[in-house]
Amino acid sequence: MPEGSAALQLQVGDRVVYPNQGVCRVAAIDVKEVAGQKLTFVTMRREEDGAVVMVPEGKIVSIGVRKVASVADVEEIYSFLRSDSDKADLDWKQRARTNLDRMTQGGILGLAEVVKGLQVLSELRPLPTKERELYDNARHLLVSEVAAALGTAEANAEDSIDIVLFPPGRERPKRTAAEFARPGGDEDDMDLDGDLMGLEGGELDLPSDEEPPAEPEEESAEEGSEEEGEASEEGSDEAPKKRGRPPKAKPADEGGEPAAPKKRGRPPKPKPEVAAESAEPAAPKKRGRPPKAKPPEGAAPAEPAAPKKRGRPPKAKPAEDE
Amino acid sequence: MIRVVTLDPFDDKQLAKFNRTLYTAFGVGSEHSGPAEAPAGMSEPLDAEKLLDEVKGVRAYKDDKVLLLTSRKLKDRELLSGKAPTTGFARYGKDRAVLTIAPFKDLEKDFKPIARHALHQLGTLWELHHCLDPRCSMYPPWTPSFNQGDHIFCTFCREKSEQKIRLAKS
Repeated sequence: MPEGSAALQLQVGDRVVYPNQGVCRVAAIDVKEVAGQKLTFVTMRREEDGAVVMVPEGKIVSIGVRKVASVADVEEIYSFLRSDSDKADLDWKQRARTNLDRMTQGGILGLAEVVKGLQVLSELRPLPTKERELYDNARHLLVSEVAAALGTAEANAEDSIDIVLFPPGRERPKRTAAEFARPGGDEDDMDLDGDLMGLEGGELDLPSDEEPPAEPEEESAEEGSEEEGEASEEGSDEAPKKRGRPPKAKPADEGGEPAAPKKRGRPPKPKPEVAAESAEPAAPKKRGRPPKAKPPEGAAPAEPAAPKKRGRPPKAKPAEDE
Repeated sequence: MIRVVTLDPFDDKQLAKFNRTLYTAFGVGSEHSGPAEAPAGMSEPLDAEKLLDEVKGVRAYKDDKVLLLTSRKLKDRELLSGKAPTTGFARYGKDRAVLTIAPFKDLEKDFKPIARHALHQLGTLWELHHCLDPRCSMYPPWTPSFNQGDHIFCTFCREKSEQKIRLAKS
């Protein structure tokens, strides 16, 4: 629930923010009868294009309608945008979910978080189309609310935001994926070496045929465990951890048979057992319609049915009595 | 239609080239619509917002976009978060923008950065926000790399501007 919405008392002429729609002005509050029930409706008109929406008064809070931010709120937003704290999640699903929540329920700070997060992410790599659209929407909503809060033109509001995001005279920094790594991602190993955890490198029974993780965050978890194994083998704890896909572990014993490389994709069909090998190989399956069942040998061969003629059936011949 | 209105004298050939560039960028006609006068008593550096409100002698239709071109300096805007360097100013989604060539030598020698700034201001008139792509003309214009880029839009901004222009035409 958005903060302060519990005590939201609206009057005609108030400026409010409808989540994902922008700044609206309350045009009317009136009682209407719908399906036999008398409901109080708040009519809001979007300032941008004059679109009108009517919301039952009881739903105002749950929808997330809130009053326009104050100047103090905007200053807080600027200090948040100046800070270098917010890093977008590299897991796109998690990021999309978080951003959706921020857009609908996060208030003006949520909008600023979306803008800042995606802007910082774009310093690592270009945004995909959907996120670029989301960034544009969030920026538009943020600009219009800041403009409404400060009582200034939208161009000035946007420039005041971008002076913070893109300080004059400075280029945007290039980010690396390491900056986006979450501290919680390395919780599993707790910086313990393989020896301390009582694990030898060769004894790690990890599934080596896992699908490659889509996101580097997951990679880092795997990396941690695999590198642990390598580190314990070589006995060098100080080797710097490499990013990216680690090289496959070499076999511990040179003389031993190297394990066959596992193939990707669908596993092969199980081979028939040894007993079945002695039996005649099954005839290859023929494609197409199966042949008709033959009549039993003892039965007399039936007369072949006359071939069916196509087309309209012939007209009945007139009686030959005449 | 884009109408370039000059507040100071400019070379006609350079203006024709400037209009061709705007036509190429937006796909709508662009022409020099003659001179106009800055409001009396307004001294350099000019207040961009006041200039847009009070400029006289601009003749345009309702859906035209007017770009005022001047060689006089514009005053930097004092905003809540700091001072905004101002080479131009446009109201989001409205019909008038102003651009100064004061930071540059002239329209001929610094044609590319001036055209890039013009695209930026006209893009604001067509409701484009600042872009994340440093190659795009909608990138914030006070960044050091802005003047080195070409006068082009990124794919996202180009498509959005085309969509807005289509909507305006229909």
